[in-house]
Parts: sequence; structure tokens; C-alpha cells
Amino acid sequence: MMHATAIRHHRIGLRRAFAGAVLFGAVSGPSSAYTVDLTPAAPLTVYLQVGVGSFTNDYINGGQPGNNTTINTVSATVAASVLGNGTAQPMTTNSTAAQSYYDGFTFCSVPGQIYIGGFYRTTGGKTAAATVTATVPAALTDATGDTIPFSKIAWTSSGNGDSGAEPFPSGAFVSGGVQSVGAMSSNSWNESCLTFSYLNNTVPPAGTFTGVVRYTLSAP
Amino acid sequence: MTPFRAIAESRTKAAGRRESCPAFFLLCALSIIWASAARAKTVTIDDSGTQSLEPSVSLRWKSATPPRSGADNLLVGTTSIRVRINVTPWLRRTGRIYLNLPAQPPGPITVSWVAQGRFLSGQTQSGNRVLVYAGPIAAPFMEDVLTFRFSVDGTLVRHGFPVSFHFEMDED
Repeated sequence: MMHATAIRHHRIGLRRAFAGAVLFGAVSGPSSAYTVDLTPAAPLTVYLQVGVGSFTNDYINGGQPGNNTTINTVSATVAASVLGNGTAQPMTTNSTAAQSYYDGFTFCSVPGQIYIGGFYRTTGGKTAAATVTATVPAALTDATGDTIPFSKIAWTSSGNGDSGAEPFPSGAFVSGGVQSVGAMSSNSWNESCLTFSYLNNTVPPAGTFTGVVRYTLSAP
Repeated sequence: MTPFRAIAESRTKAAGRRESCPAFFLLCALSIIWASAARAKTVTIDDSGTQSLEPSVSLRWKSATPPRSGADNLLVGTTSIRVRINVTPWLRRTGRIYLNLPAQPPGPITVSWVAQGRFLSGQTQSGNRVLVYAGPIAAPFMEDVLTFRFSVDGTLVRHGFPVSFHFEMDED
């Protein structure tokens, strides 16, 4: 945070004006201007929501963003009869975030979609976009140590009423690493709905496989 | 001429006289206004006694959240300033005092202020001036505490910047 002080810049000029009046008797009167220094105090603000989030109200009603520590899940249960047949299995979520905090519009469809959205505020002209990355483990694991590569999970991106490119486009996880999953242009609201699926093109051992992906917003 | 027509003509002539009077007075009024404007003189007022009541003016987003369109990017900041202007040169005369906010970097700036009673509250944009007092000058100094609110497009602001304004007198 920076501070500024209201200061007078023109005292010297004022004295000069008085001096001129004495010397020449032609100055009509003293002149002055008051100067206030203004400084951006909180210019950078970031917000990322994956799944449920927190806002005091919708943005258009003056809502302000808050913190929400909830970790949502997406999951699929694959029947033995279709296991490994190459037909992608839709995944569902326990997220209840269907409405956009922008205006309350039902932007995503739950439980089939995960809401992802946010913004970054910055002063100055148009700057480079903020990036959203996913930190992805190498694999989902079960209790006995069996694994399914994270690359077996993909997603499509959309949003009710949306047209054109999504800020968080369709993709698939890359096992073990940090990958870009989207970008946010400065000073605008960005949001998409992600529909996850399990590719189901291998036959892993029976079990419950889990893994955690962390999404990170990085502003320039 | 029938009595009716005589009456009608009489009314018409009377109306014609009434029409000529406003035209005469309008010309006179225009002349007065023109003459007054020609004599008007604007002088910047010494405000060296003016002081800020708060040490800093911080700009914050009017809305912490941006819209989809990216159009709502106002930064706002408030501060209180004790304005003290030296109006000695106009003592026992009448005058009109304006707050003048010149056009200046970083771009369009909107300023609104709430006065405590000595001056008028108001609002203006850079490049303009607004009347804050009109009437007799009865004391050498005029004082008031103004609470200013500055608004500027955040996309124009990268660093801190100064905003200057002054008071000026239109002498009657």
C-alpha cells in the first residue's frame, strides 16, 4: 500500500508573485493552486472460484468477494459392463455453484458442471492476462496403491447462453505437472463451466481412485 | 365601421403597442448583459491558508469486482480540506467565486464536494469550474471545510499523481 500526502506545490510561486508586485507594481494579485496527491491504495485484486465460492451478493447488486475453503469433487462410477470400452464416462460434482455471482444467472448446470471464474483488477492500461494453472498429480490412487493416470480425465467448456471462445477452454489433464487451463483479461469478469469425463479406455483394477488438482490464479 | 370592428381594431392596435414594448426591453436587457460581460474579470484567489485535514488520499476501486464488459473501472478517494481563501481585495464588494479544476493528467477527473455551509456543495469534471459562492464579500477571509471525492478511470492510473485546483473570483 502506498500513501500520499496532500501538499502545496506552489508556495514558491506565490512568493514570487508577491515579489513581482513589489518590484513592478503590475501584478494584479497573488495567485495560487491547491494540489492533492492521489495514490492507488489497493490497485491489484484477484478472485478465483472453482466450484463453490463466496460473494456477499451478486456483483450487480454490490456484492463483494470472500474466501471459501470448500474443496469440491467430481466423480464417476464405471459399471463393469462398460469398463475400458472407450466410451467416456461423464463425471458429476458435489458443487452446487450453478449461478454466476456476476448477476445470479444460472450459468452452469449441476451436478454435471463445475463453475470456474474470477477476475483480476489492476490499474493502468490493458496488461497481460492473468493465468490460471492446474497443479496435477501423476495419477489417481486407491487404497492399495493402484493408479489411474490423471491424463484419463478431460473436460469440455461451455456456459449457458455463451457463444465464442471460453476463457477456460476444453482440455485434458497432463499427468504430473503444472498446466495452463485458462486466462483472464484484466478488469473483466471471466467464467466457464467445465464438464469432466473419464476417458475409460483402459481397464484398471477395481477400486476407488482419488486425487486432488489445485487451481492457481497468477496475475502479472 | 361597425362598433364591433372598431373595438377589434382598437384591440389590435393596443396589442401592437404591447408587442413593441417587450422588444424594446429585450434590446435593453441584451445591452446590459453584454456590457456586464464585458466588464467581468476573473482573478485567481490566494488560497495559501488552505490545509488538508487528512495526511493522505488513497484511491480504491469503486467496485472491487469488475464487470463483464470491463467498463466500470473507477477509482475513488475522499479527503477533507479546510479551504481558506483571501478575499481582501474584494472586501465590501460582491463577487462570484468558482472552484476551477483545470484539465490535467492522467485524464478526466471528476470531483464532488460537500461543504459545511460557507460555500456551495457541488461537482465538476476537469476542464471546468463551478460556482461555490455568490454575494457580498464581508470579511477578508472565507473559510469552509470541504469533503472532496475524487473519481478517475483506473485504467489511466499507473502511479500516484497530483490533482490541482484553485478558486477564482469573477468581479461584479
